[in-house]
Amino acid sequence: MPARKDRKTSKQAKEKSESLVVSRRAFLGVTAAAGVAIAAGHAIKRPSIASALAPQEPTEGVVTEKWVVTSCLNCPTRCATKVRVVNGRAVRIAENQLSKVSEGKLCPRSHVGLQVLYDPDRAKSPLKRTNPQKGKDVDPGWVPVSWDEALGEINRRLQGLRDRDEAHKLAVFCGLNSISNDDLIRRFAGAYGTPNIVTDDSLGNEAEKSGQWMADGNYVHSAYDLERTNYILSFGASVVESQKPLARNLRMWGKIRRERPNRAKVVVIDPRYSVTAAKADLWIPIKPGTDGALALAMANVIISEELYDANFVNNWTSGFDQYKELVLSQYAPERMAEITGVSADVIRRIAAEFAQTKPAIAWRGRGATCWPDGSYASFAIFCLNALVGSIDVPGGVIYQEYPSYREMPAIAEDRIAKAGKAKPSLGSNREGRVPVAGVSANQVADSILKGNPYPVEVAIGYNSNFNMLAPGSGRWDEAMAKLPFYVHVAPSITEMATFADIVLPACTFLEEWGYDHCPPGSGFAEMKIKQPAVERLYDSLSIADIIFGLAKRLGGAVAQSFDGTGDDAEGFVRYRTGTVMPWDEFRGQGVWVGAKYEFYKYDRVFKTPSKKFEFYSANMEAVLRSSDSTSCLPHYKEAKFLGDEKTYPLMLSTYAPLLDIENGNQNYPWAQEIYMVLHGQGWSNFVEMNSETAHGLGIKDGDMVWVESSFGKVKGKARVFQGIHPGVVAIANGQGHWACGRWAKGMGINPNSILGVDYDRLSGQSTFFNTRVKVYKA
Amino acid sequence: MARWGMVIDLDKCTGCQACTIACKEENNVPFGSPYENIRRLAPYWNKVIAASEGEYPSLNIEMIPMPCMHCDNPPCVQVCPAKATYLREDGIVVQNFRRCIGCKYCIAACPYGVRNHNYKEQEEHPYNRPDSPPDRSVIGPWPFPHRTHGVVEKCTFCFHRIDEGIKEGKRIGIDVVPACVEACPTEARVFGDLKDPNSHVSRLLATRGSFVLREKMGTRPKVHYLHK
Repeated sequence: MPARKDRKTSKQAKEKSESLVVSRRAFLGVTAAAGVAIAAGHAIKRPSIASALAPQEPTEGVVTEKWVVTSCLNCPTRCATKVRVVNGRAVRIAENQLSKVSEGKLCPRSHVGLQVLYDPDRAKSPLKRTNPQKGKDVDPGWVPVSWDEALGEINRRLQGLRDRDEAHKLAVFCGLNSISNDDLIRRFAGAYGTPNIVTDDSLGNEAEKSGQWMADGNYVHSAYDLERTNYILSFGASVVESQKPLARNLRMWGKIRRERPNRAKVVVIDPRYSVTAAKADLWIPIKPGTDGALALAMANVIISEELYDANFVNNWTSGFDQYKELVLSQYAPERMAEITGVSADVIRRIAAEFAQTKPAIAWRGRGATCWPDGSYASFAIFCLNALVGSIDVPGGVIYQEYPSYREMPAIAEDRIAKAGKAKPSLGSNREGRVPVAGVSANQVADSILKGNPYPVEVAIGYNSNFNMLAPGSGRWDEAMAKLPFYVHVAPSITEMATFADIVLPACTFLEEWGYDHCPPGSGFAEMKIKQPAVERLYDSLSIADIIFGLAKRLGGAVAQSFDGTGDDAEGFVRYRTGTVMPWDEFRGQGVWVGAKYEFYKYDRVFKTPSKKFEFYSANMEAVLRSSDSTSCLPHYKEAKFLGDEKTYPLMLSTYAPLLDIENGNQNYPWAQEIYMVLHGQGWSNFVEMNSETAHGLGIKDGDMVWVESSFGKVKGKARVFQGIHPGVVAIANGQGHWACGRWAKGMGINPNSILGVDYDRLSGQSTFFNTRVKVYKA
Repeated sequence: MARWGMVIDLDKCTGCQACTIACKEENNVPFGSPYENIRRLAPYWNKVIAASEGEYPSLNIEMIPMPCMHCDNPPCVQVCPAKATYLREDGIVVQNFRRCIGCKYCIAACPYGVRNHNYKEQEEHPYNRPDSPPDRSVIGPWPFPHRTHGVVEKCTFCFHRIDEGIKEGKRIGIDVVPACVEACPTEARVFGDLKDPNSHVSRLLATRGSFVLREKMGTRPKVHYLHK
């Protein structure tokens, strides 16, 4: 480095460079700053910093800072958060240490909440459609209207239906909403008189629930005491990438792998090398759709080698003899090895390990359950827990507790409402389905298209987006175009919203009141508040206030059903949570944690005729009223694929990366730019295929390829990847948007658009993994 | 005088990338565009990289979060013609936007690729918070009034938090940590004084096998990784 002319001596130069090591403030000659103001609204004077460049911002001036406790809603986990608000702008999402579900810890999605709030492509006012044409590439011709006009029009339509005694012709679509909003949505539907509540959950989560229901009578997502377990056998469940409650799974991962003497062992069975597989001790690639077979083969080993928990099985289960007979006679590991592609050695070894490492859990995810016989795969895997005694024990399957909200008065059900709810619901091909299953979401598109059992006249969607999420998503485009009048209630204009006649700009979760609780996972109950961190942006209104407003306009019994429940959003939350925690405490702390979880509740948790865990499902027997005993036992049936193997040799698999924001929108750069962590790329998804398969097809990494099923095709970028079964092509969900905004539109591909439409027989949920495809260079 | 360092447990890390996003949130680091991402022009003060080895079905993908390594023998400091980047007494390698002339010599010199050049005007960046400068720490304001066009920036170990924390008598590494450490849900990241044998970082390094990246380059990074 040439010596500078203005430096007198090298000693002075050395001194000068050393002086750079002093604190920034001393160097800049800044006076001591005022301390940090923590109290709400406390004004602090910021230090004046001498600047060589003219600041683009005045650094003088009053700065207000406050922290607001609230909770997140970027996925169903609903973590408690604290939001730092500076000068009225939310600038940081942080932990609420009082939350115990994840010990306060947050997943990355919570921080993306800031981008959800300040999304520049949000709907800024109620919008009315002026173009009567509805379609994927059709400009709706939105014009802004007042709330009065929008709600007035909606009320006319709703009133009209009731006047004609057709309340059932209202469909209510539910995406991801706060529990409090969900309660209000359901109450409205009940008071109004429609049985047609169509939820996201019923799209893909029902088979998991019905599997558990067959065994213990609880139609719920399974919960696991992750904190104390010593062995996780995951069947298609990406525990640290997408399973809920995710933040809890992440915190407990750290705990059970490194923070206690017993390191939990993790084995992941998945056709795809998921993030969880990457972190696990063993990845077992399996032929898609054969998880049930593998589970039964493991049961075979556990039973034949007498490694099962005899105490639990003998005292607290029923139907073990029939189960044992079926498993031993039909599910030998050697036979199942051929079916699953997993060697008999591995089956025997892992089964023995699972049974002898206590406590252990068998965790099933969508990869195992979203199949035509997914309920039985779910049942088969769930039974492994009972076999090893992991039911309601520390480190095993547990039963989620919930806060006891104040019970609302019965709705005022008038004659119209009664008649409406007595009608069959949409998607009502319920032959052979478990009665407790909800409306089959994906069947509703066909119901609307066929007008079967009756045409839908009006629909209201709350943060729903079936046009992206449902298999055969194109049918939803057709169905929504056919719907005479659709109201979309959400902060942004997602794909489903483009078919709306009226868009009502709802608040994001950082601007509204609500209560939420932890989904199955923690065991103990935890209730979190939602309170506005900032003033409502634009001309938005909270969903709660929209519903109160609609109910009031309708008057009569509908309005009456909302009397005495708080009158508005804040009032409603206060009213409902009053029995759980005093309001001021709840507002200040943000979290209520329920009693410590109680294990061994064998006298209470089995909602079955025998009052025990049932390997032979008497609940199912009551539904079937037939003597087909196999249908009451966990069993495997080869999955029927859509598309013939010769034309479509590969199986399409989809998955949700962690940064898939589950509100139907993906217009969030922080999530988009780092979307695919295993591939180190963002702003897109890829057609992930095995390197040998790709080589055989002449496809190189980065080539543009067509992925074609018998239902459609999409063009995407190939990602040649070692972490995938040779017969499988994987495409991540969450991309391929054609609405939503500048950072989501046109990025990547939506695999749901080429998936065939099929259902799990028992629960009516959609299948996601039994579509065959072919891949070729574009 | 403390010597700040970080330990990242690659076993606990699940590659969730909360650190990457929390850092952007804390320091108002602008996000990039798809084009910038492909060209590696988008700025990241912390980035999680995936290193893959092996073949189906026996492969391993390691997810490695990478902040600035705050090397004890930093190549960036040695090459900077403007003395804009320097090693503080407490071990943090600091970037002074105002001295930086944007020559990018430091970017070339850094073996870890953790430095970023800001090639846009403030108005051209799609900031998450376009109306405010990088100034939203839990403790203390960011000393630089705005992000300057044409200079290089990088992870600072959230020194604005540390300096303020020291002034307030808080325990660094316990009460006050960088944003990435605070955000990590698995608690894979630990921050503290490497010279204090009782600090969490020192204890981890004493009891677990650890390594640094590119040790052979002699940079002596102060970000250590614990083996899986």
